[in-house]
Amino acid sequence: MLSIDQYRLGNGLRVVLNEDHSAPLVAVNLWYHVGSKNERPGRTGFAHLFEHMLFSGSENVGNNEHFRHVQSVGGVLNGTTFFDRTNYFETLPSNYLALGLWLESDRMGFFLPALTQEKLDIQREVVKEERRQRYDNVPYGTAFERLLHLAYNPEYSYHWPTIGSMTDLEAASLDDIREFFATWYRPDNCTLTIVGDFAPDEAKRLVEQYFGGIAAGGPFPEFTLERQPAGHEVRETFASQVQLPRLYRLYHLPKMGDAEWIHADLLTTILASDKASRLDRALVHEQQIAQDVAAYVLPTEATGIMLVQATAREGVSIEAIESAIDAEVARIAVGGLTEDELTRAKNRAEVEYAHQLETFDARADLIGMMSTYFGDPGRVQTWLDPYRSATAEDLAHVARKYMIPENRVTSLFVPQS
Amino acid sequence: MTTPMTTMPLDRTTAPSPTEPRPYHFPHITRTTLPNGLRILVAENHNAPLVSLRALVRSGADHDVAAKAGLAAIVADMLDEGAGERDAIRIAEDVGILGGSLGTGADWDASYISLDVLSRNTEASLAIFGDVTARPTLPAEELERVRAERLNDLLQQRNEPSAIAGKRFASLLYGTGAYGNSVGGNPDSVARITLDDVKAFYEQHYIPNHSSVVVSGAIAPAEAIELVTRTLGDWQSRPEPARPTVAPRPIDASRIYIIDRPQAVQSEIRVGHVGVARTTEDYFALSVMNAIFGGVFNSRINLNLRERHGYTYGARSQFAFRRQAGPFVVAAPVRNEVTTESVSEMLSELRRIRTGDIEDRELDDTKSYLMGVFPATVQTASDIASRLVDMELYGLPEDYFDRYRENIAAIGKDDITRVANKYLDPDRVLIVIVGNATQIREPLGQLGFPMHEMDIDGNGIA
Repeated sequence: MLSIDQYRLGNGLRVVLNEDHSAPLVAVNLWYHVGSKNERPGRTGFAHLFEHMLFSGSENVGNNEHFRHVQSVGGVLNGTTFFDRTNYFETLPSNYLALGLWLESDRMGFFLPALTQEKLDIQREVVKEERRQRYDNVPYGTAFERLLHLAYNPEYSYHWPTIGSMTDLEAASLDDIREFFATWYRPDNCTLTIVGDFAPDEAKRLVEQYFGGIAAGGPFPEFTLERQPAGHEVRETFASQVQLPRLYRLYHLPKMGDAEWIHADLLTTILASDKASRLDRALVHEQQIAQDVAAYVLPTEATGIMLVQATAREGVSIEAIESAIDAEVARIAVGGLTEDELTRAKNRAEVEYAHQLETFDARADLIGMMSTYFGDPGRVQTWLDPYRSATAEDLAHVARKYMIPENRVTSLFVPQS
Repeated sequence: MTTPMTTMPLDRTTAPSPTEPRPYHFPHITRTTLPNGLRILVAENHNAPLVSLRALVRSGADHDVAAKAGLAAIVADMLDEGAGERDAIRIAEDVGILGGSLGTGADWDASYISLDVLSRNTEASLAIFGDVTARPTLPAEELERVRAERLNDLLQQRNEPSAIAGKRFASLLYGTGAYGNSVGGNPDSVARITLDDVKAFYEQHYIPNHSSVVVSGAIAPAEAIELVTRTLGDWQSRPEPARPTVAPRPIDASRIYIIDRPQAVQSEIRVGHVGVARTTEDYFALSVMNAIFGGVFNSRINLNLRERHGYTYGARSQFAFRRQAGPFVVAAPVRNEVTTESVSEMLSELRRIRTGDIEDRELDDTKSYLMGVFPATVQTASDIASRLVDMELYGLPEDYFDRYRENIAAIGKDDITRVANKYLDPDRVLIVIVGNATQIREPLGQLGFPMHEMDIDGNGIA
């Protein structure tokens, strides 16, 4: 069991401490409960652009000085944005805990005075290059974006990917940035997790000192996060500059952490994880029609997502791939899972979880996630329990209920002729 | 005893001072060598219920002949396609039951087998690990499948700008010899590889006196050595193969090579030349110099191209430190319109670092980063295992990790200037750009370098 100590400051900031002296390091990790799902159509890509801006300085920290302060003492740092959250984190030599808290509190409480049009213009260009590098200039780069467009109505918050659209990025103004900050970047919308080599009383004193004076905000805007099911499969075939056809499929699931989502997580391991997994074995090893297969669930808070993909070998039609996948899913749905397969999937879940807890930074991030999505950092202790108690029938039930045409969208990437 | 705490007004204007640093020690390493020549290293660490197993075979793609480029990688791929009594599927099933994750692969210098497992299953896992390392069955039918996968992989890379740039850069620098192909080979060479080639490579190179095994994590050294001996003690030694010499092609003057990708919305840029071997005595000075130049986020190249100009999502430089001199390369994907400006900035930064224009703060920050970051990069059993594999591969001294800090601390401005002048040559670089030729050809001409255009396979275009 991890020793987890959690409390709230007067301004609503949730603080979680996990003391561990096995290395002279400390991980400082903040999860803000805001992501691309809190954007509006016409202003997509905003949460992520904003994450870039938060590295461009605050009242007492100059442009790019955040990176310099952390790296020059031997720390590592970054930030990431997803649908439901934005996280910022640094792992420091443990005698620099106060430095991490100073930097993070300065940008939580004193960001706006340092904001300039010039900084925004530079980061806007950087983010546009990020989009070109990761989405627009590489084969299959827009696949996830296309799936989201097929899967959700235009006004639903998961309709667009975190990177946003070029047009919307162009439109972002300083006023937008200010409003976004005021709405979401506040202590009562954040979990601060500290993991590692610190003295708890001293850490609590420092947290109060640096964060205690930052004001909470007003009410949060309302978002409708109830998905409207299409009731039928939505499909497309998309020709682009790729060499091999690839199938991308999204199945709707209950949200992360629900029992059926956990069963779906185990099911994707059984479908595609190693050579002995169902799709690998059938499509890659035995029939030798696919170059690669993958299946996984995403950590999403509003509604659940399972992704399945498979690349056809040269000369194999994408239709052959699709029917081979459907045949394997059908076998599982009628109860074809073995106890051995289930054990292997559970073991894999256990090992992956052990790996996440192994480093201070990944452990802090996991705790931040439990706190943000479930309001309960302590769930890090019990997370694996529903995995351990899952049965083969639980998984077959998920295949029958969710892995059906009416509950999926399919995008077929094919080479341009 | 507690002292009453008075609340001082918080001064936010300057960074808080650190407290006393806590000591860090790299785990103790237990070493032994078996009678067959196999070296074993064990680093015990009980932070997690996990064990990482690594085998290092000191031959990699540097042993491939051009006509059969990709052989070392295919051999590594074949190791877990059947070993001991198990076929490929059975290996995967049994590793899965043990909560393990098995990997095999090759790079330019070596071939590797890795198995990360739950520590309670170490004994059974080591038996499979030993089979994959020393008793692979190399079945003919699996070779055909592995070959087809590799060919499809090579096909897919034809649309990946970063892969194309890397291949063309290596080929222009090293020709058809070692380091000049890609580790994975090319469609012609992969098609030529026979089962006899695979078996011959395996027999010649996968021998205990040319290999090391590393065990890291929640296991006692004596037990680890006992278990490795049980599964690999009978592995037969043979004469060690000689390493072929890498022969880079001299660069007479800077040249631009454009590989046209008409649909490109970014130019993938590589600027560089031959670097230096990992064993160089200037390793520490070069590490600091490269970190200042382009090795970390706050380096000159990234601050210039990304943070000052907004040309790219990320620019970096790297010495590919290998057994022999790998490339030094500056790399960035930039939008088409600023391709020429980006190349200019790269070249001017290369010139500047040779002039001795280095700020005290820049040097101090970089050194303290390199010295301080080490513990954060070796938190896991797997991280520690990788460090020990490096130690074995490059013949680093036993006290290497203990003396790392003082070696970095000793580097001064003069060292930076000296190695920048010795190892960087901005007047003789290859400039390889995968991009939209129609849009970038004319502006690039303004740089005044000889310019060549080629297709993605390196065939010249008149």
